Amino acid sequence: MRADTRTLPSLLLAAALAATGLPAGAQQSNFTTPYVPTPQVTVDEMLRLAEVNDKDFVIDLGSGDGRLVITAAQKFGARGLGMDIDANLVAESEENARLAGVADRVKFAQQDFFKADISQATVITMYLLPSVNMLLRPVLLGLKPGTRIVSHDFDLGDWPPDRKTTVRKNTFLWIVPAQVAGRWRMKLPLPPIERLLDLELTQRHQEVSGRARLNGVPTQIWEFTLAGDRVSFVVVDATDRENEASLYFTGRVVGDVMEGELTRGVGATRSVMRWRAVKDGT
Amino acid sequence: MAFPLAAALLLAAMLATAPALAADVKGEIDIPTPYVPSTSVAVDEMLRVADVRPDDLVVDLGSGDGRIVIAAARDYGARGLGIEIDPDLVKKSTENARLAGVADRVAFREGDVLKADFAAATVVTLYLLPQLVEKLKPRLLAQLAPGSRIVAHDFGFKDWTPDRTVNISKNYYLYVVPARVAGKWRLEAELPGGARSYDFELAQANQRVRGGARVAGGYLPAFEAKLAGDRIAFVLVENDTSHYFEGRVNGAEITGTVRSGPGRERATTRWRATRVTGVPDEG
Repeated sequence: MRADTRTLPSLLLAAALAATGLPAGAQQSNFTTPYVPTPQVTVDEMLRLAEVNDKDFVIDLGSGDGRLVITAAQKFGARGLGMDIDANLVAESEENARLAGVADRVKFAQQDFFKADISQATVITMYLLPSVNMLLRPVLLGLKPGTRIVSHDFDLGDWPPDRKTTVRKNTFLWIVPAQVAGRWRMKLPLPPIERLLDLELTQRHQEVSGRARLNGVPTQIWEFTLAGDRVSFVVVDATDRENEASLYFTGRVVGDVMEGELTRGVGATRSVMRWRAVKDGT
Repeated sequence: MAFPLAAALLLAAMLATAPALAADVKGEIDIPTPYVPSTSVAVDEMLRVADVRPDDLVVDLGSGDGRIVIAAARDYGARGLGIEIDPDLVKKSTENARLAGVADRVAFREGDVLKADFAAATVVTLYLLPQLVEKLKPRLLAQLAPGSRIVAHDFGFKDWTPDRTVNISKNYYLYVVPARVAGKWRLEAELPGGARSYDFELAQANQRVRGGARVAGGYLPAFEAKLAGDRIAFVLVENDTSHYFEGRVNGAEITGTVRSGPGRERATTRWRATRVTGVPDEG
């Protein structure tokens, strides 16, 4: 990531914002994004939307006076790290954390987050300019599947949010999707004969489509969903014309293995079994 | 929309071969719905999308050979009623139910779906042509209790966005009958900061609701307002705190709980709204 590619548009916008007298806290100097504090109601909503809890490690990118990280620790029991390029704001945040009684659970670092390691976060929060969001996108997509990202006001372009809420302001939630694109093979112990199911998946962020072959016969994949490392999809099993039924798959992706539970049919006539698929060529 | 033409062409082809027709009435030159049995995967999917439970009464409008109603009783333990205009199919359905061992839990009636009484249904299933589906809409909304589920196979309602769409070989549309909430309400809540009383107003188009609360010197919009059957939820923000309202509509009264504040600071209190006036639905 090159710093010079992002500073110019941000500076222009910051200058424009400052020229209109908006927002009060905007500072130009060498900042990527002007400092505009997030209202407390929106801080609360971002953390609620991300379902932050005491197992989470929240990293706030551009942490300002520290309010988001401090709220995450004080009201949601999480640990947190705030990164800001402004040394004065970092000092202010540390003081605010001490006053809030959460100094043992939060940290602040004077740092350019483009150069920082954010891979330990389970939740990333941000209130940045659209151009900065777009520069961050490849980094965010490379985080561990299941990591939640919450943004206030600005989205991530054509990576659609998994959820969006509007409580005074827009807040967006993304769940970093696992990589599922490729060919997968599995054997299904379905009576009366074992079935061989091949999947060929293509992926754009959390949107997955693809084709399947059931015992060599081409068939479609329906209702594919991917949320972090969780997958679900449906294949219609028409191997036996007299006994057609849908196969409902749910499972988890871990590297080159995808496995979980499979339900054939519905209601009292359904049967449940385990499934395990392995990526082709591994 | 392209499908009426395609459907008409398909129909013409079917009319040439299918003698059993459920005729539409009123003397108009309406296209009758031909008898096209749902596949077993389609029957499964309609009942799964409706989330049928043993305490449900499933009514299939245009029940053909009875397969949906019979599956609801056999696979989900529900009770069922099929309404079908063709007496031969009604006879066949009754026989099929006996063979499936569910004759005690299902019934089939010869009748016109546009004149039928299905007010007791908690689930209605439809596999009918678009014109008939449209004609049924006001009757369904008038007869069914809020929270009742309607599942349409292939053809849904024109001006009613489904609560859920499922695409497995075919399209299935789930509609949850919304409570009528449009109008003016008096909302009283015991919020953590003290008792509050608002003039609360809601506008409604099917399950879509919007509105807000009037307070001295201002207006609090209801954010994230949602209506699913008789369940309503919305958020009011006052004094820098978000209040998440959830409640159940029961005629002229709504009662429920409010969760105020974030995370561990969240406090739960009660709220109640009583109807002041109603206004006509938007759509």
